[in-house]
Amino acid sequence: MNDKNIMESHMGTTAIKISARDVKVYYGDNHAIKDVSIDIEDKTVTAFIGPSGCGKSTFLRCLNRMNDTIDICKVTGSIRIDDEDIYDRRVDPVQLRAKVGMVFQKPNPFPKSIYDNVAYGPRIHGLAQNKADLDDIVERALRRGAIWNEVKDRLQSPGTGLSGGQQQRLCIARAVATEPEVLLMDEPCSALDPIATAQVEELIDELRQSFSVVIVTHSMQQAARVSQKTAFFHLGNMVEYGETGQIFTTPQDPRTESYITGRIG
Amino acid sequence: MTDAIQKPEKKKSSLLQLDARTRTRNAAEKRFKAYGMIAIAFGLLMLSILVFNIVTRGAGAYQQTFVALEVELLAGKLDKKGNRDLDDIKKISTFGYTPLLSNALEAKIIELGIETDLKAKKMVGILSKSAAAQVRDYVLNNPNKIGETIGFEFLASSRVDGYLKGRVSRDSIGNDKNISPAQLDLVDALKAEGCLAKRFNMSFITGSDASDARPEAAGMGTSMIGSFFMMLVVLVLALPIGVAASIYLEEFAPKNWITDIIEVNISNLAAVPSIVFGILGLAVFINYMHLPNSAPLVGGLVLTLMTLPTIIISTRASLKAVPPSIRDAALGVGASKMQSVFHHVLPLAAPGILTGTIIGLAQALGETAPLLLIGMVGFIASNPPDSIATGLLSPNSAMPAQIYEWAKRADPAFYERAWGGIIILLVFLVTINTIAVILRRRFERRW
Amino acid sequence: MSTTSLLVIAILILATLGYFLASKRAISTAGGDRRKLHSLPVYYGSNAAMFTAIPALGVLLIWLLAQPMLVEQNVLSTIPDKLITEGSSIGLVMSDVRRVADGLEVVVSTGTLSQNETLKLDTEQTDIRALLAGVGAVVGSDVLPEVLEAAQNYRAQTKTGQLWMVLIIAPLALIGFALSVLAAKPTFRARNTVERGILALLVFAASLAILTTIGIVFSMLFESINFFKLHSWTDFFFGGSWAPNFRGDSDLSILPLLWGTIYISITALIVAVPVGLFAAIYLSEYAGPRVRAFAKPLLEILAGIPTIVYGLFALLTVGPALVRVFGRGEEGLLGVEWMSGATAVLTAGLVMGIMLIPFVSSLSDDIINAVPQSLRDGSLGLGATPSETIRQVVLPAALPGIVGAVLLAASRAIGETMIVVLGAGAIAKFSANPLEAMTTITTRIVSQLTGDTDFASPETLVAFALGLTLFVLTLGLNVIALYIVRKYREQYD
Repeated sequence: MNDKNIMESHMGTTAIKISARDVKVYYGDNHAIKDVSIDIEDKTVTAFIGPSGCGKSTFLRCLNRMNDTIDICKVTGSIRIDDEDIYDRRVDPVQLRAKVGMVFQKPNPFPKSIYDNVAYGPRIHGLAQNKADLDDIVERALRRGAIWNEVKDRLQSPGTGLSGGQQQRLCIARAVATEPEVLLMDEPCSALDPIATAQVEELIDELRQSFSVVIVTHSMQQAARVSQKTAFFHLGNMVEYGETGQIFTTPQDPRTESYITGRIG
Repeated sequence: MTDAIQKPEKKKSSLLQLDARTRTRNAAEKRFKAYGMIAIAFGLLMLSILVFNIVTRGAGAYQQTFVALEVELLAGKLDKKGNRDLDDIKKISTFGYTPLLSNALEAKIIELGIETDLKAKKMVGILSKSAAAQVRDYVLNNPNKIGETIGFEFLASSRVDGYLKGRVSRDSIGNDKNISPAQLDLVDALKAEGCLAKRFNMSFITGSDASDARPEAAGMGTSMIGSFFMMLVVLVLALPIGVAASIYLEEFAPKNWITDIIEVNISNLAAVPSIVFGILGLAVFINYMHLPNSAPLVGGLVLTLMTLPTIIISTRASLKAVPPSIRDAALGVGASKMQSVFHHVLPLAAPGILTGTIIGLAQALGETAPLLLIGMVGFIASNPPDSIATGLLSPNSAMPAQIYEWAKRADPAFYERAWGGIIILLVFLVTINTIAVILRRRFERRW
Repeated sequence: MSTTSLLVIAILILATLGYFLASKRAISTAGGDRRKLHSLPVYYGSNAAMFTAIPALGVLLIWLLAQPMLVEQNVLSTIPDKLITEGSSIGLVMSDVRRVADGLEVVVSTGTLSQNETLKLDTEQTDIRALLAGVGAVVGSDVLPEVLEAAQNYRAQTKTGQLWMVLIIAPLALIGFALSVLAAKPTFRARNTVERGILALLVFAASLAILTTIGIVFSMLFESINFFKLHSWTDFFFGGSWAPNFRGDSDLSILPLLWGTIYISITALIVAVPVGLFAAIYLSEYAGPRVRAFAKPLLEILAGIPTIVYGLFALLTVGPALVRVFGRGEEGLLGVEWMSGATAVLTAGLVMGIMLIPFVSSLSDDIINAVPQSLRDGSLGLGATPSETIRQVVLPAALPGIVGAVLLAASRAIGETMIVVLGAGAIAKFSANPLEAMTTITTRIVSQLTGDTDFASPETLVAFALGLTLFVLTLGLNVIALYIVRKYREQYD
């Protein structure tokens, strides 16, 4: 499996999707992210690992400017997606977020029907010409979310009525429905049981074919299972970034080694 | 599986360029945000209009026009027998004093060289109808001064006062029997000579209500005392009962349907229209128990029932905010449940309870509707009570009821009093609420 | 000083005495060693004070409430029917009787006549009315012999009642005193007894809320039943006109009043709901902390202003301003003659709407804040704008709560009195013109129950039927609203 990863990542080096340089994030006086520079590849699953409070989630939220919703949060440095600075004044975060979808830690289906949950994104972005078109988009998204077979008979029942794992896959389908290019996942399995986790992980692996997926996880096993590249964060610094296999077998930095062997975190 | 779903053709769009759809969506966003700002601005605008109105219209009540005159207390009129017997002097009614006033005015006019063709009787019309009573009271208190000339400051009539304040103009008095242009000429002349002027009017704050014909003499003082006694009743009854009820419900009540009913009942009582409490007061306290009509005691009882739910709800919230660990700690050293509540929980919750009570009191202080039904309006609250018992039991008004009474009298001079009364009422409310805020800030605890 | 207050003072003195005696006795029976006592000496004292005072005072209270009713019942049965048929009512005669009786007591207490002399009074020989007026008790008309007789009867029975009261309550206090002082021994669990007593007091305080509700319902129910005996209920509920006439034969139908009430309330809600809701949305979703800290308390001031102030504002500011716009013909701003007086549906509705803005906004604020942040994140993460998030995710999620808030506001509007008393007018009619004066249930309650009231005429009693309807209406709205809001809160807890 490692061989395959290495091969693919070699292919990937030619297509850098996101490139961050010297990113600093402040929460009021708190310096949450210190000088992070990273290149994230297209059609790859990149995992951010690290102990709690290390800034991995904060950094993830910078990638689609979700931090804008927090008043006291300030971001400096540059983050470029497809070579366009997403913190440029001309960029509308709304358009950016259509391009960079996000799945959250806790499944958060809207209190609407399953259909409306998935159709929400396409509707606000005007992706469907007509009802049939929308039906199509919803079905495709639910299939990609690997949940179509479970819900196809009850599309009009509320999304909140599904089980936790189903809800999270619904949320993934909802994010996929707007045809993003990057999919950010903030600990998507932390609220799920092992079986549901396995299903979601399998799904992530499939999504890699169409998107650049960035996943934050506190589970090293999960990072090892689903990702091709891994970045290790510690106290607001990105300590190490490389092939997943290499990070887990021969870490360069002693802090990474300590974390992986369970001495910190 | 993924083979079945092929990615649709997607145009590559730059983030740096807004597409048309985003532009319309952003416009909608701006509009929506603007609605919110308009809503806030509307609310704040209404607040400022209200405050501006109260201040500009009410400020007038704190100034009153006074006329300075030297009145000769003619012995021939006031004490015909010349024996300075108080009982004889008392027999002269205020009518007997009116000639003294017109004499004084005439003398003043001649002294100042003002020309007027007004008859003496008409001249007195610029003075308040209370002027004669003022001289009479003075004579009755100082019978030995009869025969001397004494300087008095009389209230001017409400029309003259209105003329100086700009409320009454020469155009507006066309059909007014109470004032004529000639009288206004006299007023102008007296004003120019400095013996008629506006100045601060303490008696509006301390004085009593006056009859319909003398708006210039009406004051808030007596109704303030009425309100004070009502608040006393509310405080003495609502605080202990409210705290006791809250302690039971929060700390001792078993969770069963009876407790549920009490709880639902209390939250519903808090939303019952205040006038319904007035009907209750009328039916129970006055018609059934035969407590005196218009008494602050009855008003206080009605307001107590009305405030209780508010106090219970806020007290329960403060009791709930005391962490269970405190109770456990007390029980752990062998205190009884009752001791743990009274020795530990209650003192810790006290600031919150006090704040809630104060806010409840403020609410009760401004409440009017129930007072209308138990008769605290419709009469002239002219005598300040002389003891606690009469304060509680003899008829009185209350600040909001007094304001309502003035608003009903349909005379601009009384409207000015009503706005002025509102200023006093609001000063009380602001003070009370500020105390509550300070208490809360001072004793706020974060567990 | 009256018998009752003497009795109360005696009981309180006895209770204080009991407190000291019992705590002393507890210590002395323990041989001066406090550690041998089951409870602190304070509890023995409190126990004695409690047993002396509480039962006695409790019985006294019940006695004071019940005695006038029983005496009145007895006296009433002795009053000859012919007094009542002469164009008056039982209530009026009874209040005359009471006034004469009370007056005679004053006569005795001021020393004008002795107790025996008052008992021998006769309407033929003495002008009772003048006698009473001499001590400041005013009786409306000359005192009839029957009334005097009833009044003497009333006095006698009251006297007997008071005698029995003392004879029963004083021993009760003494027994409590003796037993509790004797019980003050080391083995006696004084604290537990006292605590049980305190608990009983707490329960009593809590049940006052229920008593208030019962009081409200019964006070209005009885008088409403009296009203429906005098006036047909079909006319009250289904008639079409409201025209009280104190000579009798009035039209007393609630429908025109209900129409005015609802029309004004809806006008108020049309102002308050959008403004309040948008203000809440702006404050919770858009405003920075500084704007919030400034605008929120300012808006809430509107809620703390007494309604009388709003009433005056309606009558003297908003009403005339509206007349300047919609009235005065050529001189008006619009040059129309649509509005003649300051009092109108629009005047009252507008001002009431302003009053309700903070009510709606603070309730909505709570409810919007209860919508979990994760839902907002989910929507924003999909690229929705904040307004799309609010309209399509937050508001639908908060809808039940907002409906509850609107219902609570509606209940406030329906029960509001001062604004409509001063701003709405007094004309009961069905009209759709918001610039006309109309009247409401609450204003009619005020006008029927103030001034000269005769609790035997339907024109006065109708106020209780109106009050009951108002109570049921607002209670219904509150129960539904509180239920919805509670259910909504549970959903996100």
